[in-house]
Parts: sequence; structure tokens; C-alpha cells
Amino acid sequence: MTSQVIYPEPIEAAIAQLESWWQTLGERYLFANYSLSPRSLALLLLQKDPGLWQTLQRDQEQCRHLEVLITVTQNQLKQPIGLAIANTRQHQAHAIERAALQETRQARSSLTETLHQLTVNPITGFPILVVILYYGVYKFVGEFGAGELVDHIETFFESQINPLVNHITAQVIPWRPMQDLIANDYGIITLGIRYATAIVLPVVATYFLMFSLLEDSGYLPRLSLMLDRLFKSVGLSGRAVIPMVLGLGCDTMATIVTRTLETKRERLIATFLLSLAIPCAAQWGVIVGLLAQKPAALLFWGGFISAIFIVVGYLTAKLLPGNSGKFYMEVPPLRLPKLRNVLTKTWVRMKWYFLEVLPLFIWASVLIWVGRLTGIFDMIIRGIEPLIASLGMPTQAAPIFLYGFFRRDYGAAGLFDLQQQGSLTGNQLVVAAIVLTLFLPCIAQLQMLIKERGTKTTVAIVLFIFPFAFLMGYLVNFGLTLFGVQF
Amino acid sequence: MECHKCKSQGQSCGKPSQRLPFFRKSKQFLAKEVFSHPPIALVGMPNVGKSVLFNALTGIYVTVSNYPGTTVEVSRGLAQIGEQTITVVDTPGMYSLLPISEEEKVARDLLLIEPVAAVIHVVDAKNLGRMLPLTFQLIEARLPVILAVNMMDEAQRWGLDVRQDALEMELEIPVVCLAAALNQGIDELKHKIMPFVPVPSSSSGCVGKESIVNSQKL
Repeated sequence: MTSQVIYPEPIEAAIAQLESWWQTLGERYLFANYSLSPRSLALLLLQKDPGLWQTLQRDQEQCRHLEVLITVTQNQLKQPIGLAIANTRQHQAHAIERAALQETRQARSSLTETLHQLTVNPITGFPILVVILYYGVYKFVGEFGAGELVDHIETFFESQINPLVNHITAQVIPWRPMQDLIANDYGIITLGIRYATAIVLPVVATYFLMFSLLEDSGYLPRLSLMLDRLFKSVGLSGRAVIPMVLGLGCDTMATIVTRTLETKRERLIATFLLSLAIPCAAQWGVIVGLLAQKPAALLFWGGFISAIFIVVGYLTAKLLPGNSGKFYMEVPPLRLPKLRNVLTKTWVRMKWYFLEVLPLFIWASVLIWVGRLTGIFDMIIRGIEPLIASLGMPTQAAPIFLYGFFRRDYGAAGLFDLQQQGSLTGNQLVVAAIVLTLFLPCIAQLQMLIKERGTKTTVAIVLFIFPFAFLMGYLVNFGLTLFGVQF
Repeated sequence: MECHKCKSQGQSCGKPSQRLPFFRKSKQFLAKEVFSHPPIALVGMPNVGKSVLFNALTGIYVTVSNYPGTTVEVSRGLAQIGEQTITVVDTPGMYSLLPISEEEKVARDLLLIEPVAAVIHVVDAKNLGRMLPLTFQLIEARLPVILAVNMMDEAQRWGLDVRQDALEMELEIPVVCLAAALNQGIDELKHKIMPFVPVPSSSSGCVGKESIVNSQKL
């Protein structure tokens, strides 16, 4: 094969030696069931591939033989083996590129280049981010999705479906507790399905549409580039912006994506911050919707959560040993999103989310029903009422925090319900929004957390987050009262 | 598991699979009947359009994102190549066979352990020179590589054109130029995959009656 890369002589000699040695090993050849050629395996071993070296540990003699071989090879080279190999490949790649590439014309669009510079430079990038947040999130998701759409669907549910369901169950099922399971205040249809379709769905739909647009335009990697320095201060690299921004869509998904981070330390900090301070689409959509009428309250909430993110991130980075990862990432070109792709993407995500969340909401209704029937629910509520009261909240809010244990968006949706009835003041809304945001995320994310980070880490995170969320709520309420602030 | 050894030597995978029932427990064999052909793997650096190509080949919609790191697990789907249905796997982005992050390890381990009928190395036409080192590594690993030069539309807008024949000659592997997002070049790619897919008749017992019908047509 002429296309095979020929490496510097010492490396080729080492490969040849390994190949012929392996042939004499017979049964003791450790890589028999690997699909890669001996040449390829030899090169990986010379570069000290951790996985393959682990396999090699099974035979001390082979290990030593290879170590000697590496030292001998290294001594004959002017640069590290890995670099020599990479350079040889790169050299040949460029030669082939020159042979195969034709420049038809000099035509790099200067408009996209300017746009790229504008989004990446902090001076222009931050205002752009603010504009996107204002129109994309506040106006579109907050006012349109969580405002108008929710209003319409909610009203439709409350005026058409709920009375109908209540009426029919009252007719068909004679037993009152059974009626409560399906209808009335906490029924599967009147509460579970209503929350899922009337409150969460419009918010998620508008958010995902917005998000898919940004995603397909290539804006997000530029956001990481711009935020790299800020993230360095919380012990993360710009790479971590991706899971964080994804977390604003769904923390569960984002927790999986932390795998792209290089070091264990980074993954730990990222998942911790995701659990603590990054609200998911359903949740922050509802919260933005809740506070949209009071812009000052919204700003306070946003500022407070950002501050928590930075301060806690900074402290964690200080406490955990190690350095933040290097930042390198592919930056795709800015593109005009294709509408069809954006719509399919939004649709797929919505469907996935809805199917994920609906059973949980139904289960929540059933659990609440059981809890109420057996009296356990009332007991727990009475138990947490003092806690809720210490936050300056009315006791009707206690169930919301209980729901919040199941899913953050469930709690947020409950809050939304209460606010619609007009029974919460601005300050109470802010406090509740803060506690619910900081609160431990939904059960799905908890499962993912256990899967990705292990039980011990998860328990530690949970044990920190629960008291912390309530403490912050308490402090905010205390502070607001102390300074006489009224939202 | 017999397939591991024969795979690296070429595509003569058909025959050993006939003997598989004797080596495997019969239960396992039954469960894997339909998928006993080694799959086609899509590999490449992050953000070159692997998932878009995966969608185009399989028709399964996996959410495609415009930034690296969103494919963290291997997705599998079925593609129709000529008369054959074959599994296609989409892998997380990787820069080299020597993995740095966890996601890269997923892709590398797949190539290390799993037998594959073909590896489609997806590259970005705009950054050919930077991406070819991985092609070399795949070639030197003796994997059956097809080079898919993607994003030809964007490269052309940048004033770049890739000469497919020159690349094919230099690398001595099949090369396809395509724009997966616009569905351009997919048919040609499928055509080039065909020689890598084992002929149904030689792997009898895998597909049963259907394979007989197929072989007659062929």
C-alpha cells in the first residue's frame, strides 16, 4: 500500500520489531481479539494508549519489553514519539490535500466573518446575547409561550374540559375517592394532564423552537468561545458551555453531555452546577412567565441565580484539586437555519419531552391521591408548613414544594396555578422561584446523576442542595423584608 | 465472536457465519440472526455531519445538533444498501484513534472490539488536510475504509473544490463527495458501500427465505 504513512526510521524499526515479536508470542499475544492491525496497535502502544496499556499489564514481561523499546526509540528521535507520529501524518495529509484540492475562486464571505467576530468578541457579544435573551426568551418564550399560549389553553381546560370531566366522573363513578383520582382538584385529568398540556407543553414548545433555531445557526459554539474566560473562573472551560446551555433545555440531557468534558473534575463541577443552578426549559419558562409582569423581580431572580452559579462554581473550583481543562472545539460556520430541520428538531424534542413528562405527571396525581387518601400527604405538608412559613410563604404553597420533589417543572407549574388565582405577592413569587430553581432537579436527572457520577457523589450533591436551596430562600426573604423591598 | 479475526483481513465474513451455530449457544444465535452481519460504522471528527449522514442513510431521526458533543452514545439504525438491509452505527466524534475524552473513547472502543463491514470516515471538505490523519490511522489499522467528503456545498461557497479521483488515487480507498444535509451524493455513497456488504447467499441462515429471493435477483 503506497497510501500507508511511513514514519521516521526509529519508529518504523520499533513497529517492525513489535510485529515480529508478537508473531512469536502465540497464545500470549494479548491483542488477539482486537480488530485493529498489529501495525496500528504497535503505534498506539508506542504513544502509550492508556486502554491498551491496561491490557498489557496482564503480562509483566511484555510490559517491560515495550518500555525498553519506547525508551530506545525515543532516544533516537529529536521530538517526543507522539509528536513525531502526528507530524508525519499531518505532513502527508497536507501533501494529499494539495493534490486533491482546487481553489476555484477566492470567495470567503466577509459577512459571515464579520458576524463571527461580532458574536465572539465580548464587547459586542454580550449585547447580542442580551438581545437574543430578550426577544428569544423573554418575549417569545416568556410572554408568548408562557403567557398567551398558556392562558388560552388553560382557560380552555378550566372552562371546557375540567367541568366536563368532573361532571362525567360524578355521574359514572359513585365513590367519591375514585372520582378524586380522575377529576376534581388533584385528578389525573384535571391536574396531571392539564399541567402537562396546558402549562408545560406550550412553554417547552416555544423554548425548543427558539433553541433549535439558535442551534442550527451555529451561534452556540460562538457563545462558548465568548464565555470561555468566565467559565475558567468557575473551574470549567468554554467546552462546558455546551452542557450548560443544553441544561437550559433539559438538565437530564445535559448531564449525559458532560461526558464530552475532558477531566473528571470538570465533569463533577459541571454536573453539580447543572443540578444546582441551571433551570430546565419547562421550569424557567414557567418562572419567566410568572415573573414577566414584574420585570424587576425577573431581573432579581436572574441575577441571584447567576450569582449563585458563579460563587458556588468558584468555591467548588477552589476546593477541588486540579486545573481546568484546555479549551479546543470545532466551530462550525454560521449558517442560515433550514426551517424544515428546525421544525423537525423541535417536534422530535417536544414529542420526546411530552412522552417523558406525561406519565410522571400522571403518577404524581396518583401519588397525591394515595397520599391524601391515607393522610400521609397531609402529614408531610403539615411537617413542611413551618419551613414554608419561614420562607414567608402562605401555607397553600406547601404542596407545591412537595410536588417539586418529583419534578421541578411540576412544582413550577403548581406555582403558576397559585399565581393565576392571585394568592401570591411579588416577594413570595421570587422566593418560591429561587428555591424551586436551586432545588434538586427531577427524578430523571437524579437517575442520570447516579448513573454518570455514582451514588456517593450523588448523595453528597443532594445533601448539599436541599438545605442550601431552602437556606437561600430564607435569606432572600429575610433580606427583602429587611430592606423593605416589594416586588 | 468468530467474526473478529476474519474481519480485519477483508470482507470474507460470510462463510464463518455459517459455522456460527456450532460455536455459539443456540439461543444467542437465534436472537442475533437478523443482525449477524457486521455493521457499517460512521466515524470522524466532531461536527462533520456524521449524524446528518446517519439520518440520510437510515431514515431514523436522531436529533442533529450543530455543535460537538451531542452524540455521546452510539446510535444504530438500519439502511437499505442495494438489496441488503444492514446496520449502520453513528459514533461520537473523535480526532484520532488515541482517545482524549470519554466520548472519543466510545468511538475508538467500538472500532477496537466490534467487527465492521466498512468504516465510513466522514470529513469536512473545507478542512480536508486537518482530517486526513485519521483516515491514515484507519487505513493503517487495516479497516475497510470509505472516505466520505461531506459539506461539499459549503466548500464550494468558500471557493474550494475537491477532486475525487485525485483523492482516490492518493489514498487507494473509495472516496465519495457529498452534501449530506442536502441529500446530495447519498446514492453514490450507497453504491460504494455495496461491495463491502456481504452477499446474502453466502451467509445463508442469516436471513432465511428472503436471502434466497435476493440472491436470485442478483
